[in-house]
Amino acid sequence: MRSAKEKRPAGQKQYYRRKKVCKFCVERIDTINYKDAKLLSQFVPERAKIMPRRISGVCSHHQRLLNDAIKKARNIALLPFATE
Amino acid sequence: MRNYEIMFIVNPNATEEEIDKVNGQVESIVTSGGGKIEKIEKMGKRRLAYDIDKHREGFYVLFVISANGDIIKECERRLRVMDAVIKYITVRTDNEVRRLDKMRNFRQKRAARRGSGSSAAPTQSAEEAMQ
Repeated sequence: MRSAKEKRPAGQKQYYRRKKVCKFCVERIDTINYKDAKLLSQFVPERAKIMPRRISGVCSHHQRLLNDAIKKARNIALLPFATE
Repeated sequence: MRNYEIMFIVNPNATEEEIDKVNGQVESIVTSGGGKIEKIEKMGKRRLAYDIDKHREGFYVLFVISANGDIIKECERRLRVMDAVIKYITVRTDNEVRRLDKMRNFRQKRAARRGSGSSAAPTQSAEEAMQ
């Protein structure tokens, strides 16, 4: 993608995309606990939906763990199901 | 025997004694069934993320136990019946712990192999560059 940047005709808008990295892989976090509401809340934006991978950059393995943890946390009212 | 975590929310209007009473009941169910209590943690009063039975706050209690399915079944039944408990969740943790151990072992083994400088070293360094 970076090499294609030079070939683009003049005037066209260039765009850079920083490579997203999985937060959990970088920090070597193996397990995601449902009790850690502070961590999980980083991945539930305002509407309390689970943030998609394409936005957060979390790898598939950790996204799956994250999903489970968020759903458990919702069950015990640590995270909301939905907000107004 | 399996490891479980039972977390439940007690009515915020309950007194300290009532909370202790609930804890005592759960404890007796577990121990009488042959299970073992590893930890009881009162996590204190917290705001609930959504209203449960018109309560906005709740008193969280966490039990870490090792027990079998029958005990858990009985615990859940009793928690459902108790008036002071407004919500509970049971999570099995032993699978997770086993997975973690496996991963840690794998990592150690890999680190050891890299340290000794075996023939597999080049592929591993490439792997690391990817990360």
